[in-house]
Amino acid sequence: MKLLSNKMLLILLVVFSGYGYIIGCTHDNQIPPPAVTTGTKYTPGTGVFLPGNMTAGNTSEWKLDKVHSGVLWSGAYIGAAGLLTGRFNQFGMHNVVDAEMINYNTTGQPLKDTSWAFYEGDDSKTYFNGYVQINTSNTGEPGRDAGCNITTLGTTAIVTGVQNLTLTNIAKIQTTKVTFDPTTGDYIVNLNLCWHGTTATAITKALVGRLKYVKRATIAGAAPYDVFGLQLTFQLVKTDFSITSTSIGDKVDIECNMNFNNK
Amino acid sequence: MDNSFFTYLEQLELMAFFSGYPLLYAVIIAIGKNKQEKRSFKNRLVSLLPLSYAMVGTLFLGLQLKKLYPDYTIENINHSMQQPWLITWGLLSLLFWIPALGKKPVLSLIHSLVFFFFLLRDLFLQSFQSSHDKNVVRNDMKIYSDSLLLNGGVFILIVLFSYLFSRQKNR
Repeated sequence: MKLLSNKMLLILLVVFSGYGYIIGCTHDNQIPPPAVTTGTKYTPGTGVFLPGNMTAGNTSEWKLDKVHSGVLWSGAYIGAAGLLTGRFNQFGMHNVVDAEMINYNTTGQPLKDTSWAFYEGDDSKTYFNGYVQINTSNTGEPGRDAGCNITTLGTTAIVTGVQNLTLTNIAKIQTTKVTFDPTTGDYIVNLNLCWHGTTATAITKALVGRLKYVKRATIAGAAPYDVFGLQLTFQLVKTDFSITSTSIGDKVDIECNMNFNNK
Repeated sequence: MDNSFFTYLEQLELMAFFSGYPLLYAVIIAIGKNKQEKRSFKNRLVSLLPLSYAMVGTLFLGLQLKKLYPDYTIENINHSMQQPWLITWGLLSLLFWIPALGKKPVLSLIHSLVFFFFLLRDLFLQSFQSSHDKNVVRNDMKIYSDSLLLNGGVFILIVLFSYLFSRQKNR
């Protein structure tokens, strides 16, 4: 290093690195959102929604309208830019116990979506169970979904005609407590998220989410029927499940939009 | 699929492995070079720099093999690599295992400066663009910090192994 002495090199590298850290660590002031001061107190309704045996034609039994529902995820692209988003193509509302965590040779729902109950006015009786099949994550880019996503999420590729509910391919949620929030009219949901990720065994994390109830409505027609919706949002930390990816940040937002009908 | 996505990821990977080396090199050279005593511990530290760099290159090779697993065909390699020339350049760091090259630490510095350049480029763009976005630099600096830790950690390991090896040899 005749042209550039060692000390000069060290100084230059330290200056450039320091400059980078100063820029990288400088945060713009953010204007905090205004506090909610409406003072409005919401009171819950009295609706009771139960799946029963999901008997077709029984209007007191509510069925998950899977084709019009969705489980969406989003995270900041490379942890810094806008959102990278996707959805899970296969999901359900069943409490999948260990014995049921197997492959199912079907293209429909492998298990009945009956592990839930929603009492508008009695949150102590409300509960939900749900699951997604990890390898059905769909970002709209087949090369990514069937490629790097599979290894990143520690699962196996989709097999046509098979619903894979095995341990490495399933993430489950189970509510532990649902509480009505009178200031917003929503429900605060305490839940456990159980996911294998890339760890040796499944990891369970306690999370808090928010549940919005979309009121029951009647759809007119030759054979009128009723619908209602539930929207659950929560956030998980991907490194809790040993997921290593430079494509999204650590925090991943999940939004479950579940629509039900009584057809 | 947008290839720029994977191109950027590959660049981040390369930065994570190699961009921290120039600073480590400069620090070790600054504290290590002792012209009076050719066989001093400090001079030994300097001579271990290329080996440490080669070790980092080996870890990088391991990551590439893991990514390609289980399909190591030329077709899959071509499909997976967005910047083959840059990856090949990164893999050239393995040459520092060769003793003849290992005796010239400055070559390892020159090799790694290519990856430090990406950091400089982003800093430059951030400084001189009117609608600059700090997030890219912020992300780069996170990767750079990881690279410093990786290179530092590998260097410490190499020094440790070298010490144990020479102790064993002297017995």
